Formats: sequence, C-alpha cells, structure tokens
Amino acid sequence: MTSIAVSGVSAGPGRSRREKFIAQGGIVLTFLVIAAVGTYLLEPRFINRLNILNLLRNFSFLVLPALAQMVVMTTGGFDLSVGAMVAISSVLTATVMLYLSSVAPDMPIALSLAALAACLLVGGLVGFVNGFLVAVLKLSPFMVTLATASMITGTTLYYTQGIPIYGVIQQFSDGLGRGQVGGIPIVVMIAVAVTVGLVVLQRQIAFGRHLYAVGSDLRSARLSGVAIVRTTIAAYVIASCLAATTGYLMTARLGSGQGTIGATLALETIAAAVIGGVSLRGGIGRAELVAVAALFLTVTNNAMNLLKVDSRFQTLMLGIILIAALWIERSLSRRK
Amino acid sequence: MAEFALAARRSFDMTKLRNWTLPAAVIAVFIGFSVVEPRVFSQVNIFNIVTQTSYLAIFAMAQTVVIVARGFDLSLGFTVSLVSVISAMVLVAAGEPSLAVAAGILAGLAVAAVIGATNGVLIAVVGINPLVTTLGVANIVLSLASTVSDGFPVSGFPVQFSEFFAQGSVLGLPVPVVVAGLLFAALSVLMNWTRFGRSLYIIGANPKTAVAAGIRSGPVVAAAYCLCGTLIGFGALMLTARTGSGEPNLGGNLTLESIAAAVVGGVKLSGGEGGVGAALVGALFVTVLSNGMNLTQVDGYLQQICLGAIIIIALVTSRGHSRH
Repeated sequence: MTSIAVSGVSAGPGRSRREKFIAQGGIVLTFLVIAAVGTYLLEPRFINRLNILNLLRNFSFLVLPALAQMVVMTTGGFDLSVGAMVAISSVLTATVMLYLSSVAPDMPIALSLAALAACLLVGGLVGFVNGFLVAVLKLSPFMVTLATASMITGTTLYYTQGIPIYGVIQQFSDGLGRGQVGGIPIVVMIAVAVTVGLVVLQRQIAFGRHLYAVGSDLRSARLSGVAIVRTTIAAYVIASCLAATTGYLMTARLGSGQGTIGATLALETIAAAVIGGVSLRGGIGRAELVAVAALFLTVTNNAMNLLKVDSRFQTLMLGIILIAALWIERSLSRRK
Repeated sequence: MAEFALAARRSFDMTKLRNWTLPAAVIAVFIGFSVVEPRVFSQVNIFNIVTQTSYLAIFAMAQTVVIVARGFDLSLGFTVSLVSVISAMVLVAAGEPSLAVAAGILAGLAVAAVIGATNGVLIAVVGINPLVTTLGVANIVLSLASTVSDGFPVSGFPVQFSEFFAQGSVLGLPVPVVVAGLLFAALSVLMNWTRFGRSLYIIGANPKTAVAAGIRSGPVVAAAYCLCGTLIGFGALMLTARTGSGEPNLGGNLTLESIAAAVVGGVKLSGGEGGVGAALVGALFVTVLSNGMNLTQVDGYLQQICLGAIIIIALVTSRGHSRH
C-alpha cells in the first residue's frame, strides 16, 4: 500500500528490469529524445532561441491542463471538460477586465487579480459539480464531464456567439503574456512551479497519497480512513482550477477572450497523461513524467509546424500517437 | 438479507416506473411546446418529428449495440462526416446514376464498417479502453474528413439519390422511416434472439460470466463495433441524401445526441441492460425536445446546454452500479 502511494507504481519485490524502465519513465524520455534529435536533424532551425521560447510557451499551455487531467485520472476518473473550462475562463478574463476597467482604469494588478479570482471561482464551481456527481452520485466520470463540457461550451458560445472579446488590458498581456524574467517567460515559470508543486504533493503530502489510494482501491482506501468523497471532489476542483488558470494565461498571450480555444484539449491532455504513464484505471501517475510527455507532444507539434505539415494532419498524428501509446502500454504490461 | 430484498424491490419499482416516465415525458414535452407554439401540433410538424427521429434513432441504436457490451463510440459524429464526404465523392465520380447510387452506398457503408472494425480490433483484441480508443479514432477520422475534400462540401451528385432516400416514400411511408424501421426490426431480432445478441448482453452484464459460459468475447465485441460502424454508415447516407451534398461538418453534435438518446432511453452505461427499443424512445424524446426548441427559436447554443443537462438528469435517475 505504502509503496503504491509513494512511487505511484505497483512495485512488487521482484520487479523486472523492463518494468523498472517503464515505471521510471524510460519510454517517454526515449520518445522525447528521439523527437527532439530527429527534428533537429531535419530542421536545424529547431534549436534557435525564438523557437525554443515559443516551444516552451506552448508547452506551458499544455502541461497545466495535462496535470489537471493527471490529478483526476489518478483517482480513477476523467475530465473531458478541461478544454471547455479553458475557453470559458478566457472569455471570463476578458469580460471581467472589459467591465471593471471602466470602474478602475488605473489598477492593472487589481484588475488582473479580479479576473483570476473570477476564473478560479468558476473553475472551483465546475470542479465541485463534476466531483459531486462522480463521488456522491457515483456517475460515470467520462459521461459526467462530457455533459458538463457540453454545458460549459454552450454557455461560452451563447454569450460570445463565437466572436472574440476584446478589452484585455495592455499591462496584463505585456506582463503575463509576453513578460520574461532572466530570459525565461513568466508563463513557463508558472508551469514549472505548478509541476514541482504537484510532484511535492504526490510524494510528500497525505492528500497526494490519498489521490492514489482512491484510484487504486476504493475499499482499502475507505478502510484506511481516506475521506473518499472529499478527496475525489478536491481532485476535480484542482483540475478545473488548473484548466481555468490555463485559460487565464492563454488570454494574456492571445490578447483577447476566445470562446473557441481548447477544442482538442481533452484529447491532448489524455494523450499527455497516458504517454506519461498515468493509468486509465487509476492509482498510477506521476507529475514529472506527465510534464515530460507534454514536452514530447509539444516538440512533435513544433516539428510539424517547422516542417510545414498541414494542421489537419497534426490532429491525425495526435490520434495515432495516443492509440500507439496505449497499445505499447498495453502490450508491455501484459508481458509481465 | 433484508437489505438485499429491499434493494431488489426498489430497483423493480424503479424499472416499472421508468417504463412509463419516458413516454409520459415525451408527451408532456410535446404538449408543453404545443401550448407555447401552436405550429408544433401541426400535421406537417408531427410528420417532421417522425422523420427526424428515424435519423437519430439509427445513431442511437448504433451506440446501444456497443454500450450494451460495456463499450462506447465517441467517433460516431466524425464517422458520419467522413462517410458523407466519401460517399458523395463516389456518387459524383461514378457517372451513370443507378451505378453511382449503388457505388456511393457501398463506399459509404464500407468506410463506416472499416472505422467500426478498427475500433473493434483496438478495443476487443488489443484491449485498449473503449472511451480513449474511440476518442483517438475520432480525431483520426475528423482529420481525414476535413482533408479528403479540403474541408469543402461535395456537391453535384445524382438527384436520384436524394429523391429516393430523402424525399421518396415506400407504401406511403417516408424512406428514412422505412429504413430506420427495418433496421430496428432486424436489430431487435439480432439482439434478443441470436447467440451474438445474447452474448453481448452477457459480456455487458458480467465479463467473467461470459468467460465461464464459454463466450469468446473478443470476436463478439469486435463484431459489435463493426456493426455499430455499419449502422452509422446507414444513418450517414440518409443524412447525406437529405442535405444533398457531402458535408465534412455533418456529424457535429451527433455523438453527444446519440449518447443522450440511448442514455435517456434507459440503456445502462454499466452494460447488459437496455435495447434498441429504448434507443428508439430516447431518440424520440431528444427529437421532440430539439424540434420544440427550434420552433420556439431557442438559441442553438442553449440547446447544447440542455443536451448536457438532460444527459446528467438521465444518468442520475437511472443510477445503478457505476463504472468508469
């Protein structure tokens, strides 16, 4: 039990070398190295300050919702509403700024914080509803979040009618969107900080271990005194808030509230989580490996952009990568 | 023991109640909209509802075939898009009308069956989670649908195709209704009276029992996905005939609508329960509701919110043992 909780992998005494390799992220690291070296050989412009910065920014916008997905997946759940949450937060950020900037025109920091608070409030609410339906009413997480995603998207598009919302204040997009400290974009720092935070949570904090316990065996979790309902709801709240933060940061980058972003994010985040070794059955998953997987996906996307591959093929690739990753996971885990 | 008996009685009462709640809800929603908007109650519109229901019913039945065996198909909507585009391209290219119609239908059904078989093999043979498999396949199919025609509608196919499959009638009944009716009859027999159908229910109810009963669930489940794909193909061809062109965006909301129809009808996501009849009534409910909202000019995005809410309400009311 404790070994599951600490490492997030089922570590029996007689683990084979192959299992150790998988558990320690050997596959995903290999993928990343192959993708990066391959791209560099095909297109030397890959290693270029501007491209790397761009890549890291895109990585940040993927790793945050991917970590959100990981948190619910370790409890044995799913969150298909991450993309919808990102979109509604983007619209919300722009709307809050648009209306409040006439009330308090010269307070950029207060306005930015108000927008963030609004995003986290809505995120917390959505997460609570998802978590409540899953944990208390025991509904299928996939169906619940599919339905709430439909409701969130409907709300977003009803409000915007598909039109971007302008009104994002300049200081906000300059500071968070384009801002750098010591040559590193602020967004990247936030993404790295969140990743580190979750690594610590998973390894050092009781709540982090409870997430694994709920996902691996509900019965023994209950018997060992884990508050299952509370833990599950908290997982969904954290996930939705992370997605909301992503939407908030993306708005700073885009300079307007976009209700149509995030459409493929449910798939991308599940792909990142699965490639990063998170089990679809719950109980297994580590933040640092999910981050590596997100970096791998970002590098492949970046490579396809550099090689001028049509964006429609990028969706195709994503689908293929996801299924291939599942296939590999499946065949390796069968062979033990 | 007492707890058991109580639970059994409660679930019995619930089923009995559920048998009547849905038809009652259909009638209540219909009357409600008729009061607000008299056009809802017109003969033309009732005819419309019946025709519309037959399209959705085909998709809901397709979804049901796999849900019964604890599966799921999230690629349904984009399969519709791809079938629409490819069958239209074949219809346009084949020249001579009767030949073109035959070739178009065959091509459409073949594409749909291949997508279904791909899902089936990945899920039943390789053993990957159905939700994530069909989500991945959905994206592959989506990008193909928007690539083969460069994202543009394919128009200019023989008018005979639309004339028969959309406007035509057999024995006074519209062709879509006839096709849906025939598929319903065939599926009812298949699901209830054949080895294949019963195996699906056993696999869905309890995979271990299925193994004990000597059912080789791999081929059965793979076949179910292939059947699901083929059914989607029929629905997609009928929709293409109605639109009059191959549309890369035809599938849009259909995945969610088909799931909603099946779940509202009482098909349990935990598998082993509910049949094509449930899918049919569920499809009728969703159609009556969306028809009423269309006629009372409810915004399309608000309808999307309603669809999500309906799924959750249906899940809550049919709550049993749940799974991922």
